[in-house]
Amino acid sequence: MAKKKRPMLKIFIIFFVVEALLVVLSGNFSKQIQIGFDKGKFVIRNIEYEYNLQDKITEEFQIDEYFRQTGETPEIYGSEKLYEFFKKVFGEKSAIGSFQLLRMLLIVDLLLLFIALSIRKKLFGRPSKPQILFEMIYTSLEQFVSETLGKDKVHYTPYIVTLFIFIWVSNLIGLIPIPGFMEPTRNLNVPLGLGVFVVAIVHITAIKVKGLWGHLKNYINPVKNPLFLLDIVGEMSKVVSISFRLFGNVLGGAIIILVVSSLVNFVVFPIGLSMFFGIFVGTIQAFVFTMLALTYIGVEITE
Amino acid sequence: MDLAQGIVKAAALLGAGLCMGMGALGPGVGEGFVAGKACEGIARSPENASLITRTMLVGQAVSESTGIYSLVISLLLIFST
Repeated sequence: MAKKKRPMLKIFIIFFVVEALLVVLSGNFSKQIQIGFDKGKFVIRNIEYEYNLQDKITEEFQIDEYFRQTGETPEIYGSEKLYEFFKKVFGEKSAIGSFQLLRMLLIVDLLLLFIALSIRKKLFGRPSKPQILFEMIYTSLEQFVSETLGKDKVHYTPYIVTLFIFIWVSNLIGLIPIPGFMEPTRNLNVPLGLGVFVVAIVHITAIKVKGLWGHLKNYINPVKNPLFLLDIVGEMSKVVSISFRLFGNVLGGAIIILVVSSLVNFVVFPIGLSMFFGIFVGTIQAFVFTMLALTYIGVEITE
Repeated sequence: MDLAQGIVKAAALLGAGLCMGMGALGPGVGEGFVAGKACEGIARSPENASLITRTMLVGQAVSESTGIYSLVISLLLIFST
């Protein structure tokens, strides 16, 4: 029998050696090695740190508020011209947060484009490993769509797959340990926009299937449906429930990771927690978001 | 920080703790119930295991949402007062 390769073991050994080196090189525990990009340069240096946990959490999650309180201008976020542009467009109050959010969204979009192009290049040859993975995702979601909506509504599959892959990659990108990287879904605006689009598509589908009057009849006919106001509130609450679920899960995971890493003085990067909250919860929440969108569409179609 | 601000902060922190604790009760009971029922279902018909697991995960995530709301509210209470 040939020698079995163990890639996971190698990865763990590399992690262990890197962490041991970091611990040894950082001297004592009151110092911290900073690795990452600062002012556009790649740096490895030894810095003293003193922090307040509440300040740290505020910096991570309400970055505009943090920079407004401390009064310093952010240097890590790159070019001055871009920052001025964002200040002009979004106003003084939310320039930094919008900048960071849009940058992360751009990175996610470029990543998706790169994946799509690199898979498409070798589409007709022998299928490569990522192609098999993405074909598996596509066919399984297509099967869900055809189970929920019926065989003649399979043309909703591209939307559903796009939703799933976008949220999935957005949740996974927080695993990359570069300062300034965050999940785009950690900002409430992204899940809220996705939720609004889901509900809009639900209503467009309902109008297509039942006709405009046939759909509006459910809402504005007080004789047939005396509680029609509650139905309208229910439509609003769909947006809130679907988006706050994703947002709260991602934000809660990030805060728990930050608090636990501050308890161990940032010496040992809590890989287990990151794996749980990044990979497991991220995948489950992306799946749940797409499933709920599918269910909302399915309810309107089958009625 | 004067006395009034201190009282407000203390009440907000207390409220955040109470909110998180009480909000975690319902999802805990609900998710355990769903997982138990899914175990029963898989034991009764093991060939449907993948369908049952999928439905269980979606149902658990939906029933978790009240806990997530309480998490968001307690974070608001902690960080915005």
